[in-house]
Amino acid sequence: MALFPLQANFRGDFVVLLIPVDDGDDMTAVAEKVAQHSIGLRVVDTGAPKRVYYNGKELPPRMTVKESGIPPMDWIEVAYVG
Amino acid sequence: MPKLQRRDYYDTARDMNWAFSYVNEDEVFPEELSKSFGIKGDEWWGWDEPYKLTYREYVHNQAGKDDGIYSIRSTIARSNLYDNLDVGWKSAIKAHYGAIPVPEYFASIGEARMARFGRAAAWRNMATFGTLDECRHGQAQIYFPYCLLGKDPQFDWAHKAMHTNEWGVIAARSLFDDMFTANDAVSTAIQLTFTFETGFTNLQFLGMASDALHVGDIEFGALISSIQTDEARHSQQGEPTLRIMIQNGKKAEAQKLVDQMFWRSWKLFALLTGISMDYYTPLESRTMSFKEFMQDWICRQFMDQFKDLGMDLPWYWEKHFLPELDWVHHAYHLGVWFWRPTVWWNPDAGVSAAERDWLEQKYPGWNARFGKLWDVIADNVRAGRIGKTYPATLPIVCNCCHIPICSPSVGQAPRITSHNGRKLSFCCEVCEWVWKSQPERYDTHLSVVDRFLAGQIQPPNLEGALQYMGITPEVAGNDAEGYAWNRMASLAAE
Repeated sequence: MALFPLQANFRGDFVVLLIPVDDGDDMTAVAEKVAQHSIGLRVVDTGAPKRVYYNGKELPPRMTVKESGIPPMDWIEVAYVG
Repeated sequence: MPKLQRRDYYDTARDMNWAFSYVNEDEVFPEELSKSFGIKGDEWWGWDEPYKLTYREYVHNQAGKDDGIYSIRSTIARSNLYDNLDVGWKSAIKAHYGAIPVPEYFASIGEARMARFGRAAAWRNMATFGTLDECRHGQAQIYFPYCLLGKDPQFDWAHKAMHTNEWGVIAARSLFDDMFTANDAVSTAIQLTFTFETGFTNLQFLGMASDALHVGDIEFGALISSIQTDEARHSQQGEPTLRIMIQNGKKAEAQKLVDQMFWRSWKLFALLTGISMDYYTPLESRTMSFKEFMQDWICRQFMDQFKDLGMDLPWYWEKHFLPELDWVHHAYHLGVWFWRPTVWWNPDAGVSAAERDWLEQKYPGWNARFGKLWDVIADNVRAGRIGKTYPATLPIVCNCCHIPICSPSVGQAPRITSHNGRKLSFCCEVCEWVWKSQPERYDTHLSVVDRFLAGQIQPPNLEGALQYMGITPEVAGNDAEGYAWNRMASLAAE
């Protein structure tokens, strides 16, 4: 378990953020960590589930950061499903 | 003895060029400080400019200008003019005072370098005046806000800002160091005087002086107008330098210098002037939108002059620059407002119902892209959830322009690349191109995010970041209107 910095933004927001996650976090946790800096602050909270996208592909919710192979400070996008 | 007319002696007295015999040219004009671009010594001797001023005339003129502005300051100090200014306008001038006065001294260093290492006597003569001009601008623009310190401690940042690591200051200092503090004489003439002053500040100061008079800020209007008269003169160093480069087959080199610095200047211009014009200037005083200003003044007038000299539009003009006119400063404004404790002025949200109508009219699609984000912010303010209108992390900052990476639309990734094993992030293709066109110039410079990740900012949170940036509680920015814009929006909705 180690601190792991990522670049991320929630789809529809206007700015890329520095998001510290843990390399043991799964993508559901990562999505929440990104969303808390946008949802209800600038992006409307619809209550819909969220997914993580990396290089244009949706990552499985149970995949951990370590398993994903994402390097530190790479960019991910989080978006509502649908 | 009859006194000679100026025209009879001026060129002879000014053009003291000669061929060296005791030293070689490289010793007099080291490439690092002067840079010839391979153009031989006497090719520069035809350098000429239209003002043809003597030192005696210069001193006389400048003394008169200083008498004028300091008299106005003295008179206005006895009035309540400042107290009655719009709060948004106060924010605009605070932002200006933090970003500009000390860099005027940086510019005097660049001018002094041209005054010594410029490759023609006429040019060195003009640059000597430019050196003195920039000192005058620094002095006046520090003294005026100093006089307002008793009314508002945020004016302290007119002097303090450039001595801090505040994020916007890092962006400004990076640009100004690149363009004039650490540049060679020939590149300074092309980049500072031709690209930045002719292209941006000379025109910007005309616009700002006009806006100042519209809002009733006679003091700032007089100050900026006075400075602009100097800018109009010393910015003339760029064109003859450019002509000599073109005549000697160095158009491509000149074009690259312009393309690099036009872009870097644009990014900071959008940050400072873009948000001041479209959000901080009171609605009733706006004579044109920032986009219209850019189209009328920068795109048409400057680029016409540019093309008349045989230069091409920058390669990124259609694909990157023109599209950014529609959105980039709106994103910067939203970021500055949301991260408002990190700036030394009080950002004016500028999104009352009437202002939003104006924004949508001037920038069709503004509501769909930015208005809906402001809707969420407004809901939080109305519900008293002010904590949700503050940030809890840093934005990622571009390694070239040092401004947070924003996107014009959904799903647009930052440009992440590496150089000698160092990971770099850029906001766009042009910033990446500028950086990679001379990595040796930039690769030791850390962005504020790089510094955070390197552990230089402690504790690693917003409090630590504010401390690192030198922001103290009495100057930390807050909403300029105390959220009154939102109450008015609520009333309108009801």
